[in-house]
Amino acid sequence: MFRLATSCCLLFILATLLMTDSSARAHGGVVEEDDLCVIKVNFLRAHFKIYQPRVSGHEQFCEDLPVASESVFVMEYQHDSLSIMPIDFRIIRDVTGKGRFARMEDVIEIPDLDDATVFYQPAMLEPDVYTVVHEFAEEGDFIGIVSATHPDSNKVYAAVFPFEVGFTGWGYWPFIICLLVLIQVQYLVMSGRIRRWLTPAAAVASCLLLLPLSASADGLVVTYSTPDGPVEINRMHSWVLHVESTSGEPVTGAAIEVEGGMPAHDHGLPTRPRVTREIGGGDYQLDGVRFHMGGYWEMHVTITTDAGTETVVIPLQL
Amino acid sequence: MKSDSFKVAAAAAVAAILVTVWYFRDVEPAPWSDEEIVLLQSLWIENLPDVPADPTNAVADDPQAAAFGQRLFLDARLSANGAVSCATCHQPARHFTDGLPKGTAIGTSKRNTPSIVGAAYSPWLYWDGRRDSQWAQALSPLEDPEEHGTDRRHVLDVIAADGDYRAAYEALFGPLPDLSVADEVTIDTAFANVGKAIAAFERTVLPTASRFDRYVAAVVTRDRESQRTLFSDDEVRGLRLFIGEANCMQCHNGPLLTNNEFHNTGVLSAVGEIPDKGRATGIVEVMQDPFNCQGSYSDDADHVCPELEFARSGPELIGAVRTPSLRNLEGTEPFMHKGQIATLAAVLEHYNEAPDAMIGHNEAEPLGLDGSELRQLEAFLGTLTAPYTGLGTRPGAT
Repeated sequence: MFRLATSCCLLFILATLLMTDSSARAHGGVVEEDDLCVIKVNFLRAHFKIYQPRVSGHEQFCEDLPVASESVFVMEYQHDSLSIMPIDFRIIRDVTGKGRFARMEDVIEIPDLDDATVFYQPAMLEPDVYTVVHEFAEEGDFIGIVSATHPDSNKVYAAVFPFEVGFTGWGYWPFIICLLVLIQVQYLVMSGRIRRWLTPAAAVASCLLLLPLSASADGLVVTYSTPDGPVEINRMHSWVLHVESTSGEPVTGAAIEVEGGMPAHDHGLPTRPRVTREIGGGDYQLDGVRFHMGGYWEMHVTITTDAGTETVVIPLQL
Repeated sequence: MKSDSFKVAAAAAVAAILVTVWYFRDVEPAPWSDEEIVLLQSLWIENLPDVPADPTNAVADDPQAAAFGQRLFLDARLSANGAVSCATCHQPARHFTDGLPKGTAIGTSKRNTPSIVGAAYSPWLYWDGRRDSQWAQALSPLEDPEEHGTDRRHVLDVIAADGDYRAAYEALFGPLPDLSVADEVTIDTAFANVGKAIAAFERTVLPTASRFDRYVAAVVTRDRESQRTLFSDDEVRGLRLFIGEANCMQCHNGPLLTNNEFHNTGVLSAVGEIPDKGRATGIVEVMQDPFNCQGSYSDDADHVCPELEFARSGPELIGAVRTPSLRNLEGTEPFMHKGQIATLAAVLEHYNEAPDAMIGHNEAEPLGLDGSELRQLEAFLGTLTAPYTGLGTRPGAT
């Protein structure tokens, strides 16, 4: 019985994948790629997702929406140039009669676009991520139209994506059941209940430096000292970086850039520290350093001299 | 034979019940380890440093300015309808918040009203850090059409017309300009002075010792008896989770239980609104604010502004908002930057799940705590409440 159900599910997933072949909408639209939903506005791409926060919480939808409810459309740009393009967003009722095969050409032929429009967000400039919210009053077939205008050439790039609000029929049920099973399995894994028992409790960190105050790459050794006292969290302070070659020669006149972050948390420093002066004898003053949580940090010191560029990683346990 | 096997089964059942009861017995929490005591002390109010200096505000620590600022803070004449003061939303009796999802004044403000208790310690003000000093922040609601809905000329008119106010202003800042002839820079300077007086008052609004702080004192002195009186077993367990497994101290660290930095924790958008970009827009705004540290209204002639100078911007701040203090949460629900989450229990559930963020990236990781652990955490958070001891005193000074 279980094997039968699994086979059915697999067949269904296969069929679904075949039906949503990305080549079907090469002119711009929403496609699924590597579990991510992507909108292609001509050659410009953005991650695309829709939320119905009132009824489905954090669940993401790619195109079709289960019910008529408040819906938040999110486009996270993969292409920086979208950040400088005014973008407008329109949702119309599907008056083309073509359903999910509607294309830009069909939309252009609509005699009164405003009459069919249920939502319109006039062009606005939104760096990095573009969001709109619309509360659907009724279920049915809709078409979303996103257009971005290039500020210099005035060329308009557009994407059209037909979608349905409110599922009809029961054809999705096997898929939903499979999804629920997967979500449950994923929940058990992601919730950490399993991992919690597998990994030993993390060592309790103190605000003391536990690691050596130096690091080296191939040809350079970087040490640091903190003239304002030991490193504490939540306090802006300065470092003195000392750079020397492996043979102990101080490195002077170098251009130094510093980036830092917590690899475990996928975030950087809360500030952007900068080398503000060269003290001499291979010493450089680094200002604007602040750490905002205990744990394992890395500082990546990139040193450029006439001989080339090297990056030295300084580990820190706070 | 049959009755024998029945007896064996019954005995096994009784044994199983006894083992179960023993396993789940109410064991007193283990004593704190040295490492844990270090962490507890890092949260202790006794380790709260003095309020950091504000060189941009020459009257920041002037008691006369604080007294004047306190009167301005409570004065509803500084509004378009004569009914809104700073204290309308920042209610002293509610730990300087209002218990509403979003501030309600002339209209509805954009976000949840943050407390001002201990705000003097933060390099950034507002959820998105769009101001870099308390005085620059204090000016903004006065001219926000949804908040006080007034303007700088009206504010200065009120001060000019009130004999006490005029005298207080002039004693601190020199003659009040004649508004009928003053140029814009003169008016802006006087307006900035109003903010500086309000900030001088706000700097005196500081947290006081809570039950938690008395408990840490008992831990430090190894006074087991006081520890038992001060904290229930659940509160102890909640505290142990807080400093350990629940990862709370990644952001809620230090004696104010906040790092005052910006984090995206994947909270859902508020009803009818697009997701809040938070710090990503706040950093742009603070850089352009004419009243910021680098501006000409700062009293620091050298314009030493490390916070602005080394401030970080960029896409990793999308949807990030400033960590609030966890002191004095009681009676301040709903929580989060738009008041999206109604109860503390629901906030803890949110962090336990750590769902993907609608925009940007949720920095939190799922915790996998069970229901009773979440209740213990909630119990601990209830120990961080301490009443504000009244306007006009320096509660932290005792």
